[in-house]
Amino acid sequence: MDLLKLFKPDDFTLLAIILGAPLAGAFFNGVFGKRVGKNGVRLISMAAMLVSFFAAVLTFFALSQHRHNVHEEFEKTGVKGGAEPVSKLAWLAWQWMSMATGQSDGRLSIDVKFSVDELSAVMMLVITGIGTLIHLYSTSYMAKDRSYHRFFAYLNLFVFSMLVLVLADNMPLLFVGWEGVGACSYLLIGFWFDKEANASAGRKAFIANRVGDVGMIGGMLVIAHYCGALDWSGIAQNVEKLVLHGGQPERIILWQREAGPFSLSPATIAALALFLGCTGKSAQIPLYVWLPDAMAGPTPVSALIHAATMVTSGLYLICRLNFLFVYSPFTMAIIACVGAATALFAATIALVQNDIKKVLAYSTVSQLGFMFLGVGVGAFNLGFFHVVTHAFFKACLFLGAGCVIHAMHARIHDDDKSQDMRFMGGLRKYMPWTFYSMGAATLAIAGMPFTSGFFSKDGILYHVFVNRVVNPVVIEPMAMMRKMEEQRQVFTGPEHDMLARRIAQYWQAPNWLGPVLFCVGILAATMTAFYMFRLLFRTFWGEFKGWKVAPEAALRANPMENLEPLVDEPEAHLDAHGAHGDDHDDHSHDDHGHDDSPGEAPAEAPWPMAIPVAILGLLALFGGFLLAEPLHIEPLGKWLEPIFGDVMQHKDVAGLLSGFVHMRAGAAALEWPLMVPGVLAFAVGSGAAYYLYVHERGIHLPGTLMDAYPGLHKAALNKWYVDEAYEATIIGGTDALADGAALMDVWVVDGIIAKLTSAVVTGIGAILRTFQTGVVHVYGAFIAVGLLGIFFFFGQPHPNVATHKEGDTFTLEAAPGLGYEYRWTIDEGAPEPAFTTGEKATTRTIQLKKGEEKYVTLEVKNAFGRTAQKIVHIANPAPPPPPSSSMKPVGVPPFKPRPKGAQ
Amino acid sequence: MTAIFAAIRMFWPVLAAGTVGALVPRRHSRSERFWIALAAAACALFVVMMWPADATVVPATPAEPATTYPHLLSWLIAIPVLGAIAIIFTPRQAHKSLQYVSMAFMAVELVGCLLLLKLTPQESGMWLEETSSWIAPFGIRYHVGVDGISLWLIILTGVLTPIALFVSYGSITNRLKDFCFAFLMLQAAMVGSLVALDLFLFYVMWELMLVPMYVMIGVFGGADRIRAAVKFFLYTMAGSMLMLVAILYIVFKYRALSGEMSWDVNDLSRLHIPYGAEKWLFLAFALAFLIKVPMFPVHTWLPDAHTQAPTGASMILAAVMLKLGCYGYIRFAMGLFPRAAHEYGATFAGVAVVGGIMYGALCALKQTDAKRLIAYSSVSHLGYVMLGIFARNSASMEGAILQMVNHGISTGALFLLIGVIYDRRHTRDLAEFGGLAKQMPMYAAAFVIITFSSIGLPGTNGFVGEWLVISGTFLSQQTLGLWGRSQAIGAAIGVILGAAYMLTVTQKMFFGPLDNPKNKRLPDLTRREVVALAPLIILVFVIGLFPRIFTEPMHPSVSAFVKSFNERKKFEEEKVKDEAVLDPKPEPKVAAVAAPAPAPGANAAPEGAK
Repeated sequence: MDLLKLFKPDDFTLLAIILGAPLAGAFFNGVFGKRVGKNGVRLISMAAMLVSFFAAVLTFFALSQHRHNVHEEFEKTGVKGGAEPVSKLAWLAWQWMSMATGQSDGRLSIDVKFSVDELSAVMMLVITGIGTLIHLYSTSYMAKDRSYHRFFAYLNLFVFSMLVLVLADNMPLLFVGWEGVGACSYLLIGFWFDKEANASAGRKAFIANRVGDVGMIGGMLVIAHYCGALDWSGIAQNVEKLVLHGGQPERIILWQREAGPFSLSPATIAALALFLGCTGKSAQIPLYVWLPDAMAGPTPVSALIHAATMVTSGLYLICRLNFLFVYSPFTMAIIACVGAATALFAATIALVQNDIKKVLAYSTVSQLGFMFLGVGVGAFNLGFFHVVTHAFFKACLFLGAGCVIHAMHARIHDDDKSQDMRFMGGLRKYMPWTFYSMGAATLAIAGMPFTSGFFSKDGILYHVFVNRVVNPVVIEPMAMMRKMEEQRQVFTGPEHDMLARRIAQYWQAPNWLGPVLFCVGILAATMTAFYMFRLLFRTFWGEFKGWKVAPEAALRANPMENLEPLVDEPEAHLDAHGAHGDDHDDHSHDDHGHDDSPGEAPAEAPWPMAIPVAILGLLALFGGFLLAEPLHIEPLGKWLEPIFGDVMQHKDVAGLLSGFVHMRAGAAALEWPLMVPGVLAFAVGSGAAYYLYVHERGIHLPGTLMDAYPGLHKAALNKWYVDEAYEATIIGGTDALADGAALMDVWVVDGIIAKLTSAVVTGIGAILRTFQTGVVHVYGAFIAVGLLGIFFFFGQPHPNVATHKEGDTFTLEAAPGLGYEYRWTIDEGAPEPAFTTGEKATTRTIQLKKGEEKYVTLEVKNAFGRTAQKIVHIANPAPPPPPSSSMKPVGVPPFKPRPKGAQ
Repeated sequence: MTAIFAAIRMFWPVLAAGTVGALVPRRHSRSERFWIALAAAACALFVVMMWPADATVVPATPAEPATTYPHLLSWLIAIPVLGAIAIIFTPRQAHKSLQYVSMAFMAVELVGCLLLLKLTPQESGMWLEETSSWIAPFGIRYHVGVDGISLWLIILTGVLTPIALFVSYGSITNRLKDFCFAFLMLQAAMVGSLVALDLFLFYVMWELMLVPMYVMIGVFGGADRIRAAVKFFLYTMAGSMLMLVAILYIVFKYRALSGEMSWDVNDLSRLHIPYGAEKWLFLAFALAFLIKVPMFPVHTWLPDAHTQAPTGASMILAAVMLKLGCYGYIRFAMGLFPRAAHEYGATFAGVAVVGGIMYGALCALKQTDAKRLIAYSSVSHLGYVMLGIFARNSASMEGAILQMVNHGISTGALFLLIGVIYDRRHTRDLAEFGGLAKQMPMYAAAFVIITFSSIGLPGTNGFVGEWLVISGTFLSQQTLGLWGRSQAIGAAIGVILGAAYMLTVTQKMFFGPLDNPKNKRLPDLTRREVVALAPLIILVFVIGLFPRIFTEPMHPSVSAFVKSFNERKKFEEEKVKDEAVLDPKPEPKVAAVAAPAPAPGANAAPEGAK
């Protein structure tokens, strides 16, 4: 193909166009948007997206061609059975920076380099393709907005950042995209910033993601430290260093216990840290809380960012680094468990929400949980396939919901109520296109057989049941053991036992984990089918309830009329809109409360909105055949094989079983039987919804249930109070800490260093100042007192003796003074006959034997004839006794320092 | 013809930037656009000129560019002083003349600073060294030089001082002459401290900085200005006094060992003092510099000084003066006392993380005065800088120096932006604002961009610095030991808090309903403010996307510094016990006076030691 001649595979500048078009669009819309008007903005942004999409398609074909070439080359010249070279198209833009590697001041160059391989090619197509559709949709959806240009600038910028994320060739560059999409998400959630709640939701999203970013940074650092590289191929080449160091398992000791150190392998730490980042971006427990609030943004944003693309970047990262994650079966098990827990947890909340976007938001969280469940058990291609199918049906559902809200808003003129399903119903008549598209997407997400969701979700569940991630350290012994068992029929014996012991040393996921997660998944799938059909039925079936929007009080008084009552606090169920929603409600009562006339009927959305929804609906229905594993139609699986093939179970050159993801024995036979629970989940969930919300007899059941368990319902409606719990613990804790820090800064730090010091100085100054009265009498009195003091001092003799020791000779020297005379008495002996003066009188020299001590008395008489005396004690310490002697000599002076080591 | 094409190929980004700069602003007149276009084109030109060449082609004539302008550094000190003298002779009432005169001198100074880039050779050692005797009986010399560590700080000074002064023209209407005089003197003192290699000269410049800043806070400041100015002055003086004692100690020790007086850093760094005394000398130096940085617990002068200072003074204080503390720590505290710096490094790094990064961020979270908040954010950000310095491998130190520049740009811009709203509303209380994005969209956009830069969003300058510092700290085994890992993680957690307080400010000021009636008629950015902000915003992205332009010139110097530091530390640990030791003079050392062209390797490294 000419394309590869035009752009070299290692200098594939076409990527610059894919990336550059949305960036240029963002720039021009942001800067000139207001001047060129809405039509100009529409033209610029759509052109940018179409150019990008077109270039992406070309790149896709070029990659396919390149892969073919590489393969042929390899067949011709390569070693039989050797590793096939990776085929990717790369473009080095410029060198970015050089960071430390930890290898004695070594440097690691981080480049602005983009590359596209099979995985990123699919993501690229999804982003530009669905991005284009959603841009088209937005041109109409946002048509009345004053900040039209700002919206498209942000949206284009988002597409650019997302493309940077998936096309980046190294982790720091991926992080640029990762944060870039976060920033765009922040700006778009708070797009209508004049509502406090929207701005708060944006901030919450950003900060929750920042928590995850700490994990990302930590993970990158660990990888850089052990692998010495941060680009994909570099990590892949050195990934073994994360678990093995010179043939021995590498461990990081976290802390010492009595039972030996608690240690993890660097692979586990890196993978857990990166997974923390993924929970932030992909809204998993514990960081999922921002995503439901993010629905404050315009609906196309929810479709593009918070359903189809950005929130799947965590999945993309795990798929991208699949070879790293499988090195830590522990992390894989954690990912699977978190995914399953999130899938179930979010589904329970979605069961009772009334806001149509909230239902979809929690459904997104739940579906993301399914994806993590899939990759957590090593079914990378199915987890990734669910990313793609989810992009189809969830984008369709959000856009459809956008059409509904658009229609409702035209009638109700209230932001919150036009999203409330209690005011909808019967829209099937008015908006058939939307209905059919959303119906198709609902079937897909609920898992109706042979729709896209069926193939991806049931495939994941099947693999959850049969897959097993094997610790890389034990692959070799395990393969040897298997060989022993299969070929030599040896099942016991010392050799076999040794291998078994070696395998048992390392952590493996327990055998029951798969089936348990499978059951959780089925339960969550049942709930999914239920709440999605509940949404569909309550929106499109029955009577249209928006003709007359009843006041809040009436709704509360007669809950059965609208199936479900409002909770006591209006903020609680519409929390994203917060307290602010209240005054809006009041306004709307004034405006529309008396408006009983039927008015304008809700209408079908205009074509730029309807067409993307319809296309996505079709994709949701039929997209599943990209990877229909049970039917053995799997173009996507084949396409992705170079990415995921190595970690999957396969026979290596020596005929040994290799790869990290193994399957249970007899897995192939289970493929069809395990589909039954999945289909049942669809049938039960959708049937129950039909019975409750369409069928006449079931219609009172929800109310009855609610009355029976009011606490449970309220808790689910309030999202199990997780936000409140975070508010009370983490946010409150930080807040208290900040309060403490701010107070400490003023009163302790500044208090001691500045205020106390200045107080001391001021105090001394104040005291000294009192002496400076300026009155001569007082000064005279001070002089008199001072002179008296001096006279008094010198009137007394001051006997002071300085002792110098030189060997055994002690020299005592008396201090001189005015007219002093001295008399010495040495150790109880006779005192000297008289006081003497002169040089001789001031010093005395005394010889002392070892261990001897003496008291010397000095008497001093001054010029006034007053005397004073001082007794000086001198002693010559004995040499340390020999260590063997246990008895101490009697005459040892008590103050003698204890000889060292005498014990 | 081909030459023209080559020129176009080379300079198209300049043209493009100029065109965009001319077309972007909507409501501005032609002359204003001209200046913005010029700013954009200048920045683009800078990128083009500094672009790392693909192939390492050595130019055919490796002529020593260092000797081309041998007195450049002296001129850099002299120009602002001459400007200040010119201001003395300009009439007090002639505001326009005062403005033009001071701006003209600053423009010349900026050109001079940028010449440094053209002239600096890519090698270690001091560049453009200049030595002459000053006070001969005491061995005091006038010795200046620049290397990769101080290079960008000098340029930062050259770029930010005119911007700060330019912005101040809008708000300072009284005593403009004094203000301009103080500003020019301040610039001279700052540049002087950055280039001084003689401790006496450094000390003079270091103290000289205090006076103009004291005047600016004390005369042009807010209501509580006198107290803040005194606090600022006393804090800094307290540290400087201890440093002076330490300087005298080492100078006399040097005389005792060598028989001659010298205050020269190169000479003094040959002196190895026993650890017992070195410890105290180091602590005296470190305290002086850490007060200036400022680091916990001696940081409390900063919020007071910032809240009271006028906008221009705040900008200079945050953007340049604090960096002098970091710079002094590297050049003098670490350069003269390697062993003590090593011993205390890990402890100080802990203080930088807990007391600086985290504590500063937590305090910032609770401030209601916008300027006070940004002052605390400075404490937090400088924690990163100091952490990178303490971690002391070449990558982390490059990150730290880059982060100094980044902080200068983003915090300088933040103070500028706060000044904008203060000029309009005369309050900085966050509760007074809300929903300003509706009324002042350009202002809001600028603020959000700077916010992203401040919280280190990848793609902006903040990320590169933080990333280099954090990764350098994490990967530094020999300097911080195992604690390095936890400190890196602590620093990474500080990133969350940084986002929390900055986004809170942004939200409180710009988002939400515009319900305060006083805010409903505020004008958007004026032309003066746009022109002042434009270079800063452009630099945010230039550094974020092309950090190599900035780290490459500093790389040889930083590597050499780290290498010589480690060698000298090892030497002191092994050889120096009870008596001070003086290394022999390295051979190519310049004899006391004269001889303008110094040989390479004449910096702090005592290569002859081993």
